[in-house]
Amino acid sequence: MEILLGLFYVLVFPGLLFCFAIGLLLLGIDRKIVARMQKRIGPPIIQPFYDFFKLMGKERIVPNKAAKKIYIIAPVIGLISIITIALFIPIDYFKTFFNNYADLVVIVYLLTIPSLAIIIGGASSGSPFGGVGASREVVLMLGYELPLVITLLAVGMKIGRLTNTAATFSLINIVDYQIKNGPAFLQWSLIPAALAFLMVIPCEIGSTPFDIADAETEICEGTMVEYGGILFGVYKLTQGIKIFVMISLFIAMFMSGIIPAVSSSIFVNSLVSIVWHMALVIVILFIAVSLLRATTARIRIEQAFKFYWTYPTALSLLSLVLVWAGL
Amino acid sequence: MFDDIITKSKVKSPWLYHLNTGSCNGCDIELISILTPRYDVERFGIKLTGTPRQADIVVVTGPLTSQSKDRALKVLSQVPDPKVVVSLGSCPMSGNVFKGSYSIEAPLDRFVDVDVSVAGCPPKPEAIIDGIIKAIEILKDKRG
Amino acid sequence: MKFPYAGNALKDFFSKPSTERYPKVKKEAPKGYRGKISYDPEKCIACGMCIRVCSPGAITMTKGEKNDEGQLIEMKFNLNSCTFCQMCADFCPRGAIKLTTQYSMIATDKNELVVSGSFIKKIPPKPTVKTVQQSKAKTEASGSK
Ligand code: SF4
Ligand code: SF4
Ligand code: SF4
Repeated sequence: MEILLGLFYVLVFPGLLFCFAIGLLLLGIDRKIVARMQKRIGPPIIQPFYDFFKLMGKERIVPNKAAKKIYIIAPVIGLISIITIALFIPIDYFKTFFNNYADLVVIVYLLTIPSLAIIIGGASSGSPFGGVGASREVVLMLGYELPLVITLLAVGMKIGRLTNTAATFSLINIVDYQIKNGPAFLQWSLIPAALAFLMVIPCEIGSTPFDIADAETEICEGTMVEYGGILFGVYKLTQGIKIFVMISLFIAMFMSGIIPAVSSSIFVNSLVSIVWHMALVIVILFIAVSLLRATTARIRIEQAFKFYWTYPTALSLLSLVLVWAGL
Repeated sequence: MFDDIITKSKVKSPWLYHLNTGSCNGCDIELISILTPRYDVERFGIKLTGTPRQADIVVVTGPLTSQSKDRALKVLSQVPDPKVVVSLGSCPMSGNVFKGSYSIEAPLDRFVDVDVSVAGCPPKPEAIIDGIIKAIEILKDKRG
Repeated sequence: MKFPYAGNALKDFFSKPSTERYPKVKKEAPKGYRGKISYDPEKCIACGMCIRVCSPGAITMTKGEKNDEGQLIEMKFNLNSCTFCQMCADFCPRGAIKLTTQYSMIATDKNELVVSGSFIKKIPPKPTVKTVQQSKAKTEASGSK
């Protein structure tokens, strides 16, 4: 039974199949929202599904100069690791036994792997554009990892203080605390951290204005320059799931426990919380990703780096100091 | 069943790659204008890609100058199948006013198969949309 | 950090899109648009003016054999090398060329993009040749004045 349930979690919900659907769907919703904000009709919401299946039917080309094995394996590793994170994030009342292993530190480590996969894939493609893109992605990673880690520290410390332990990094404790005592963003010392996290989201998923690593107009899609066919589809899918994972992580850390338990049965509770979670994901996607993407142009790499080491870092540090001071 | 999905998706998501072979910029501007809110070809699923590896439809503008000829042919050969080549404007079809110059290698169909030709100098955006829709019809029957 | 267009974006999100649904809703080109060439062979006199002013050399004229009836003239307008500058229409003394507002010129084979027409150019009637005496008489008459 345990094994069957585990398989269900890994393969169907919230694992492979669900991630596939929600990732592509979120990409489509994002494209539609941006199109409507620019007064266009925009593609149908299921457009990324068409893109994915079309890419499946394309000719598969591995460039001669590429390091072939790495070139093929990198996107798959990125996809696997991002799906693993999706398994680890609890959705309010919906918890799997994977969540017991979930730890913010593990998630931070796993979150770097898809970016690393992009870097390795780009660098192994044997194209100078791929190399430039990879180096830009490295700089971006250095930029956003710092505020991200400080934010997680602040949250862990705050919840730890509130539950009278030193600091907790277990997501399940954080979510449980919020279900009992209300969402964490009501703790005013955590509001700067939440803002910093919101600023990290668009860079982490590589959307405009932070799509510097795969800028199609200046460096021919950068790291993706040689990828076509299904391997590129896997990267797109990874990006979509990353949107879901990042926003889910935000909700789990700051906004869980807004709706009270509606019934005594865990099943009904989880169902309601999943629906609520999806609605929240779309709202946050609207604010943090689509609005930004529709109204800004791509910035330069050193501007992005400077931005991340000033505003979000300052905000998250402020939060950390406030929490440390016991506020 | 799976093949049906792929065939349907092929029609629904043609990605454009814009190849400029020394055009005067008239055709390029008109091509970009079909992505603007007024014409918005994204409603057909069309997207402008930055690399030939992801392209389904290659739109060639310009009279194929001697300097760009080799590069253009190289780029065209890098596009994975199934692909459709659209020539935009009079330049790739005949050389237009530059015809007979020592630095012009037009017409394009001396070197590659051109599937759809759109006449005009530059063509009206509506005409470009018509041409791309024609290209999508051709793309449907091509095998990858 | 300024977002000058955020307000606009939010407003536009709830308003109607400004996209024209082109292939479904047909669209007329504006008046004076220089589109596909229409050529009226009835009016043409094969003067060759249009060929002289056409910068890309898009117009060709082929002349057939001369016989009693006249000469077969065929005019070809190669739209695949035309710049739609309207010079030919402006210079044509008989107004045989017009640039219509039809803009959609799509072909799978570029040689389909040709407008052509042919007509038979009548040999002009032989002018009545004056005899030598007549002309002599004329000059004498004028000389005696
Ligand atoms: S067809 Fe005309 S507008 Fe287009 S590139 Fe050639 S000269 Fe320029
Ligand atoms: S419109 Fe201009 S380019 Fe076209 S046939 Fe007339 S003169 Fe030649
Ligand atoms: S079309 Fe007009 S300009 Fe050209 S040959 Fe005929 S009469 Fe002359």
